[in-house]
Amino acid sequence: MIVAEGVCKDYHSETRGHWRRVLSDVSLTVKPGERVALLGRNGAGKSTLIRLIAGIELPTRGTITRTMSVSWPVGLEGGVGGSMTGHDNIRFMARIYDKRYEDLLAYVEDFAQLGRFLSEPVRTYSTGMRARLNFALSFAIDFDCYLIDEIIAAGDARFQRRSHEEVFEKRTDRSMILASHIPDIVKQYCSRALVLHHGRAKMFDDLDLAADIYNDL
Amino acid sequence: MFSEALKTQRRVWTALFMREMQTRWGRRNLGFAWLFAEPLVFAFPVLAIWSVIRAPFEHGVPVTTFVWSGYMPLLIFRHVTGRALYVVRNNVALLYHWRITPFDIFVGCCGLEAVGNMASVAFSFGVLYFLGAILWPHDLPEMFLGYFYMTWWSFDVAMIVAALSERFELVEHIWMVVSYIYMIISGFMFMAVWLPVPLREVALTVDIPLVIYESVRGGLFGDRIMTFPNLPYVTIVLAVLTLVGLWLMRNVRTYVEVT
Repeated sequence: MIVAEGVCKDYHSETRGHWRRVLSDVSLTVKPGERVALLGRNGAGKSTLIRLIAGIELPTRGTITRTMSVSWPVGLEGGVGGSMTGHDNIRFMARIYDKRYEDLLAYVEDFAQLGRFLSEPVRTYSTGMRARLNFALSFAIDFDCYLIDEIIAAGDARFQRRSHEEVFEKRTDRSMILASHIPDIVKQYCSRALVLHHGRAKMFDDLDLAADIYNDL
Repeated sequence: MFSEALKTQRRVWTALFMREMQTRWGRRNLGFAWLFAEPLVFAFPVLAIWSVIRAPFEHGVPVTTFVWSGYMPLLIFRHVTGRALYVVRNNVALLYHWRITPFDIFVGCCGLEAVGNMASVAFSFGVLYFLGAILWPHDLPEMFLGYFYMTWWSFDVAMIVAALSERFELVEHIWMVVSYIYMIISGFMFMAVWLPVPLREVALTVDIPLVIYESVRGGLFGDRIMTFPNLPYVTIVLAVLTLVGLWLMRNVRTYVEVT
């Protein structure tokens, strides 16, 4: 279970020298097996909330407790290192997360289909290829809860189909928090949606209602 | 439980060390060897110039050995502290993995430098001694102990700079000035015995790098010249600085914006 209570996050504004509030009193509970969407426009605080849940940054106020293993925010950026090759990244993750390199490699080779590119530095990858590697690694490591930042829309049709299989057919017992600004994707993947606007948040069990409210914002 | 945590810590540091070596030196370059070659590439021209322009002995100490004993500790300090400024910010993508803390990132960069530099001290000592450029030390373990303390000192300074630079931008500017002043006051070019007595008393209390230099040179020169090592005092000061550094590192996460 993941429980966020009264979470606030302030960032120091570099140009104006004061603090700006990015998240204001946000609460959220995610149970095992639940799929929750974070729906909001660019800059609404989705990615910030994901980073707080991942434990990358600390909330200014409020608490976040995790009683299940949580993935890193799987997205287009971060997670994998650019100047390392695909193989180096796999080896790095195997060490960090205490997995066998051979197991991760086998899974990534099959899932990401990067072929000889695994021996090239990740910075030479296209966006879609980087997303495939990032996604494949997070699936290979096996978390209780996946944090996904706008990524399912990336990648080609085959990759989308494989991801869909992985998330919805093989791992139905896993939780997922999906940040997105596309209501259709949210409706397809999630059972509840937290709509974020100017740092404030409201939870909806009715995804159609959430989408309507979001479209009217 | 505790041994489990230690194992995790060891795995994380190993992973970061490997990554650091790969990203820094690449796979096809000189790689690991550069760690050992670099001090020599710096040291040879400096030693060559000094040994030409100076008499072989000054103040009763052999000049090339004195220069080596001044230059290596300075290299250690510059290397270990060299990337401390904004080290967490510069490697912020690593924080994506919650097991990796800001302190781990710091150790991955500056700790690797510390270990590598200790090894390269031994290596450059071996090479230069073999070439006849420096004398066999009066007390080899004491000299290396001095180098160890110099590395520890550099590690402490690096940790404090790393933590504070994420918090105050002023640190960047101050650090530029400090690292120049350091060259003058560190003992790179002088020994405590050359100072007038009242100044020496003060220097041996507040100028920690000078006191460490005295250990290195005490081990090297023995009775040739008077040195004032004080390892018990330095141990206490460095232990306190380590604690201060760890305390400052503890909430760096609050100040770093991951994008």
